[in-house]
Amino acid sequence: MADAVGWKRNLRKQLRQRNRVECEYFKELINNHNKIFEGVDSMRTQNVALQIQVERLKQENLDLNLKSETSSSGNGGGGKASNEKIQSLEQKLFKLQEELTEMHRRKGENAQQLIDVSHELQEKEKLLTSKDTKLTETLFQLDSLRNEMKHLEDSIIEKETAYQLLRDEHQALQLACTSAEEKLRVAKEENTELITRWMELKGKQAEFLNFDNEEYHKKQRAKLKQDLKEAAETHVDIKQPKIRPQRSGSQSMQICYQAIIPTHAHYKFDAHDGEVNAVRFTLSGRICATGGADRKIKLWEYGNGQLILKGSLMGSNAGVMCVDFDSQEHHVLGASNDFASRVWSIADHRLRHTLTGHSGKVLAAKFFGDASKVVSGSHDRTLKVWDLRSKACIRTIFAGSSCNDLVTSEAAGSTIISGHFDKKVRFFDTRSDTCGNEITLQGRVTSLDLSPDRTMLLSSTREDSLKVIDLRMNQVISTCCADGFHVGNDYSRAVFSPDGQYTLAGSQDGSVFIWNTATGKLETRLMKEHHSSVVAVAWQPSGAMVISCDRTKKAILWSDI
Amino acid sequence: MADDREVLREVWEGRLPVAFSLSSDEVSVMEQPEPYYLLVPRQSYLTLVTDKVQKHFKTYTDPDKVGEVWFEYEGQPLKWHIPIGVLFDLYSFSSTLPWKITLHFQNFPDEELLGCRSKEAIESHFMACVKEADCLKHRSQVINGMQKKDHKQLWMGLQNDKFDQFWAINRRLMEHTGDEPFRNIPFRIYQVDKSYIQSLFRPVTDDGEPLTLGDLLKENLPDIIPKIDACVTQVIIQGVEPPLDTPIQWLSEHLSHPDNFLHICVLHETDDR
Repeated sequence: MADAVGWKRNLRKQLRQRNRVECEYFKELINNHNKIFEGVDSMRTQNVALQIQVERLKQENLDLNLKSETSSSGNGGGGKASNEKIQSLEQKLFKLQEELTEMHRRKGENAQQLIDVSHELQEKEKLLTSKDTKLTETLFQLDSLRNEMKHLEDSIIEKETAYQLLRDEHQALQLACTSAEEKLRVAKEENTELITRWMELKGKQAEFLNFDNEEYHKKQRAKLKQDLKEAAETHVDIKQPKIRPQRSGSQSMQICYQAIIPTHAHYKFDAHDGEVNAVRFTLSGRICATGGADRKIKLWEYGNGQLILKGSLMGSNAGVMCVDFDSQEHHVLGASNDFASRVWSIADHRLRHTLTGHSGKVLAAKFFGDASKVVSGSHDRTLKVWDLRSKACIRTIFAGSSCNDLVTSEAAGSTIISGHFDKKVRFFDTRSDTCGNEITLQGRVTSLDLSPDRTMLLSSTREDSLKVIDLRMNQVISTCCADGFHVGNDYSRAVFSPDGQYTLAGSQDGSVFIWNTATGKLETRLMKEHHSSVVAVAWQPSGAMVISCDRTKKAILWSDI
Repeated sequence: MADDREVLREVWEGRLPVAFSLSSDEVSVMEQPEPYYLLVPRQSYLTLVTDKVQKHFKTYTDPDKVGEVWFEYEGQPLKWHIPIGVLFDLYSFSSTLPWKITLHFQNFPDEELLGCRSKEAIESHFMACVKEADCLKHRSQVINGMQKKDHKQLWMGLQNDKFDQFWAINRRLMEHTGDEPFRNIPFRIYQVDKSYIQSLFRPVTDDGEPLTLGDLLKENLPDIIPKIDACVTQVIIQGVEPPLDTPIQWLSEHLSHPDNFLHICVLHETDDR
């Protein structure tokens, strides 16, 4: 590269040198030369032109000289006298001419003056006529003004008479007014006197009433005392029932004393088009509801060893995840993946309420209280409490994790217990705002169920076991697990038997497991009927039958008959 | 590349001071006219730049005998179709400036010079050279791709001495695509009293190595290198002596005359002195 630069630099240097030597040295010189050259050229042409002019002028001069000579020789000595005469005549002529011009000038001036004067005269005449017209106009105006003045004077006189009349009237009215005011004052005085009297009477009446009330109270208290005394005297013998009634008010509550472990499939049927996510019996055991991924809730009635379809409840826009009955068996509640919970009436299958407000799938919903409230748990990590009378969300509980299932317990003081994705079971008191308690399990909690006596909580977890928790100690008292038992979904349900002796759950391989609650021992395993993962199970309140549902439409009724 | 642009500009700016005088045989008036001095561009042609000179001298000669104008330097008729710079380098490289040229209006040497009736003759000669050069460089692809007005612009650029106007078009002729050099270098080697040498010469070897001015000279005049080394012979391009190791491709791109040819003058010392 250095080489290349070498030759290039050499070349450039030579070129510059060339241009300097050949061009720059001579540039100015030649420019100047050219200028001078042109100058000389133009001078030369000018010079030629001038010479030609000079020649011509010379020629002219010559001609003139010639002419003058010839003329002077022609006129000779003829008339010096006549010359003088001519001169005087010329002078006269000149004078006369001057006079003439002077005359002309004057004449012109006079004519001009004449014209000016006549002009002035005309103007004055014009002025005069205009003044005359003005004068007549003003006279006319004066007349009309005088007339008007007369008119006005007349009207003034009229007005004055009217004014006088009005003043008289006014005075009369003022007199009337003062007398009326006097009357008013008297009336007011009377009024105040009457009011004071009335108040007095009122006070007296109140006193009488108070006295009356006191009398009545006294009498009542005396009667109450009497009653209490009588009551204390009578002896009452209270029997402890074996199982406390779960909810009040059911017409034909079936109380189960002994749950029977089913042995074989008794009745199989297709419950839904697709997955069957939830199943539940009413307290009376007459009606069973299933919820499916086909967006319907179906009501079934038990009779002749079969479940007969009573009706389909439409309205959900996505699969139903959970169903629940109220204690009166008037309403059925469904939680849906379309972020809403809905309430239908059982009697006429009509949609009654739609509870919207969650921002995620609603995975669980339960009635509680006197069935006028609903609590729902959602994938949006909140629980919401709804009042059905006002159809509004009355409380939102921020649980902190997606809620898979929840139960409510009036016995434990209106507690809501929820099972969560973060492996925790949380306890909320509906009457206070704080989160009361929580228990951490080993796996994601998929379902919760309360034992009939409300002392035990059954939770199924994704680590393939069921935990029985004693609610009084908040401790796991037994664990139910078995070979081949796998919890298939985050929403697989497990339940207690109606007498609380057994726990029931379905497995991923299609079998249904029943354990002993107290010992955690496997009682039976019902196999080979379901061909896919069992999602939901329910024990009939009479204790005689079990229903299980799977992910491929099937529902199976198990019994020992 | 700004350097190269500057080189192009320097080459273009080359001027020669010339003193024209009328041949004493042809003076018809009493006094010998003064010589006419002029700075003429090296890139141009004699008949193109001497309008004023001719007009000036015509007044001094017999108007009946005025024929075609021709120029002569020390008895050597000057060919108008060779650029002025080349004529100077060839015939009077080391003579003193200004260059003295004699003007003739009579006795046109038909056997030695081409007739030059009008400016159109120069233009057609110039365009023929450009086309020939492009045929050698690009197989005529570039010149055939141009429009008539581009050709006109080239000529007007040269005629009016407008660098930018000329190079706006000429740049395309001097372009070589990518690393591909010209197919052949358009050049002519002039020597006094000999006709010029022109042959096909590729600017690179078969291996792609760039060739230099020395290689070109060696191929066309095999015995020249020792003479140059002994300072007996000079190689002149555009009035300068380029180093022999200058790449021939670069030389062709930058030191060519407007007709796109690289005019190389080889001067032997015996010829000169």
